[in-house]
Amino acid sequence: MADEFMKGFGLFSIASFLWLISASWYRTPSFESNRQLISPPPAEPGTVFDSVGIFLGDLMFWTALVGAFTFWVIIPAGRQARNAMVVDE
Amino acid sequence: MSDDTQHDARTDGGTGIVPPDDDTPTWSERKSRRAGLPRLTYEYFERARREDQDLRQESTYVERDVLAFPTWPHELIRNLALTSFFVGMLLLLSATLPPHIGDPANPSSTPSIILPDWYLYWSFGLLKLNDLNPAISLLGEQKLMADRTFGVLANVVVVGAISVVPFLNKGSARRPVEQPFWAAIGMGGVTFALTLSLLSIKNLMPMDVHLLFDLTFLAPIVIGCLTYAVLKTMREGYMYDLNRRYYRLRPPK
Repeated sequence: MADEFMKGFGLFSIASFLWLISASWYRTPSFESNRQLISPPPAEPGTVFDSVGIFLGDLMFWTALVGAFTFWVIIPAGRQARNAMVVDE
Repeated sequence: MSDDTQHDARTDGGTGIVPPDDDTPTWSERKSRRAGLPRLTYEYFERARREDQDLRQESTYVERDVLAFPTWPHELIRNLALTSFFVGMLLLLSATLPPHIGDPANPSSTPSIILPDWYLYWSFGLLKLNDLNPAISLLGEQKLMADRTFGVLANVVVVGAISVVPFLNKGSARRPVEQPFWAAIGMGGVTFALTLSLLSIKNLMPMDVHLLFDLTFLAPIVIGCLTYAVLKTMREGYMYDLNRRYYRLRPPK
């Protein structure tokens, strides 16, 4: 169980760290604004690197959420369900 | 050696990290771990075990049979690894999050919102407890003291409570699971500092001020109860025996 926790936590922290970097570049109009990290990205990315950066940021955001949810909820719940079915035999 | 140590030969707390003398690996087991990280890990623990064993044999100190790790290389290599990690983090963040440098401060104009440095927000939040200042009916619903006096007294109360804690609890626990109650008090205090800090910047917070005021006092209680419950549950966990053993091994005061 501890292993699954650590996998989920590792995914969550690393992916959200990468999301933080991407969001600070593309979703922060100014470090003095009240809407840092959550502003919409520029509609017209300047270069292909910008669009890749925005895409990777979104990807990391969902990796953090879905990864943690998978390892903390779905896999343990699946194991519990399987064990519950085996005991009934 | 006294009789006690002979009867209780296992001195590692049952973790298996430091095997007892009759359980050391054979030469074939040693030779099988010959490459890379397994080899390094193995040598690390084997050397730690060996040094522990030597120290234990030299020692005349019977009360305490865990003699800890030597500073070099064990502690220093660990500290170097942690230091490298955080220095790398600093370099990465300063390279990828280049802070925007704002205009220089204008000394002739006062900003509309004046705030102390962030680490003093909790104290600043204590100055904003106007709603808690009691109105006395005998005085015709007048407040007993001015709101600013009340805020300063609230600071005295909080700092006084923090100063009293070391006298109530000697802090002999090494890990929070050993004393869940005091750990819960600590977590509640940390949360209270955080919520007070948020209260102090209530004009910047995107939420209802009255809800924020209630949460300032409710959230620490909730977090404290949660911490207590989690730590009580963790006492069933696998490290608690070791912790209790450390606690027992501490020399008497």
